[in-house]
Amino acid sequence: MKSSIKNFLSNSAAFLVPVISTLCLVILLYLPRGDSYWNFLRQAPFYAGIYFWQSQRPDAFNFISAFILGVFADVLGGVMLGINILSFLVLYLVSVFLSERFNIKRFSYSWLLFSSALLITMLFKGAIISIFFRQLLPLNLLGIEFLLTLAVYPLLARIYILIERRFIHLEERYEKVQS
Amino acid sequence: MFRQRVLFLKENYILRILKRFILAGLFAIALLLILVHKIDLGLISGVSKSVMFVTVPVINTLTMPARGLSYGYKQALSVINVYQENKRLIKENDELYLLKDRMKALKAENDLLKKLLHHYDTPEVQSRTARVVAETGGAFANALIIYLGDNSDEIKIGYPVVCSKGLIGRIDLISGKYARVTLLTDINSKIPVVSQKSRERGIISGVNAPEMKLLYTPLLAELQVGDILVTSGVGGGLPPDIPAARIKQIDMDSITVVPLFNPSETEIVKILLYDVAPTPETMKELQ
Repeated sequence: MKSSIKNFLSNSAAFLVPVISTLCLVILLYLPRGDSYWNFLRQAPFYAGIYFWQSQRPDAFNFISAFILGVFADVLGGVMLGINILSFLVLYLVSVFLSERFNIKRFSYSWLLFSSALLITMLFKGAIISIFFRQLLPLNLLGIEFLLTLAVYPLLARIYILIERRFIHLEERYEKVQS
Repeated sequence: MFRQRVLFLKENYILRILKRFILAGLFAIALLLILVHKIDLGLISGVSKSVMFVTVPVINTLTMPARGLSYGYKQALSVINVYQENKRLIKENDELYLLKDRMKALKAENDLLKKLLHHYDTPEVQSRTARVVAETGGAFANALIIYLGDNSDEIKIGYPVVCSKGLIGRIDLISGKYARVTLLTDINSKIPVVSQKSRERGIISGVNAPEMKLLYTPLLAELQVGDILVTSGVGGGLPPDIPAARIKQIDMDSITVVPLFNPSETEIVKILLYDVAPTPETMKELQ
């Protein structure tokens, strides 16, 4: 009984780590002000986080985590509630598709595949907003956001790796696989 | 070694079907949220308020040391430049003295003319000050998060927000002591304006870019590059004559305007307590 409670708690904690770490990075990126280019980076931890945790730790990240992150992104970003939720679910599905078909464990491949997943997500999100407001979003700004997010991915992935190693232990995963 | 095994997790068949249903359900919820966005449902604003209530105080607390450092830097810079600044201010003061006398004469003349025409001024709008906590911009949205402090009870959704240069946006969400301001440049923003010079009307529409579009202007409107556009007050949502934008470019089929403020440089804003909805008594009188 005691061990089952302990297992439940440790599994729940493992699910909380990706969401909390992503939110912490988002909050940190909200701090610098005074330069408009920072605005393009503020949502980068969401994209990088969803892709990273889904592809590297699918046992600790699922679509409900992506949904929760989407709610936070919608409220903090000032867009309609639902836009980021929908686009993060799309990013999650694209990441599942890519990680099932490609060797995502090698960083260079992972980065390359992230670029395609990010492009699909951003175009999807831009299309929804453009359709809803009947006005095309400026593609140059979309391009800047895409390139900057892609550029900071290695740094964010490195931080996520450190968090993974520190807070989610391999033994726990092994137990889960065996069971 | 263990990493590889995670990819071959064996899942229960029923669990897999259930997961697919939940995923489809979440997609449906997200679509529903987008569709009912325009209808002000209590549940949606409740969710938004809860999320803001959790995250924004953390951002505000974390920015405190940065604000302290920034204040110290500005103070040090002002001490270094104090002599030059003093020289500039003396010169500016002399010019202002001349303007002050001219203004006094104009005001007296204006009051007299108003009296002759039986003109009544609109009541002065009260305001509250707030500090900018965070900024969200980019290709998808343009907004500011502000700290209202103890003024939060007096602030309502839809109130206009201005800075020293002019209008910057409107309050779109309030949660506790914080509020979110939709900027003029946001795709969701449509502001009725009038040219300060020619009094030609139009609507400023944000496109999530640093520039905006001026729509619904007459074909032969007397507009020029550099003209200032001020709020027209049409619709009752905003008080009239607040500077909002400057005309940057006039083409055959479009007019491009730029806002007068820079969101990244805005630290303190003023919220105008301008009620959008008329009171029931006023409505009765109008009917």
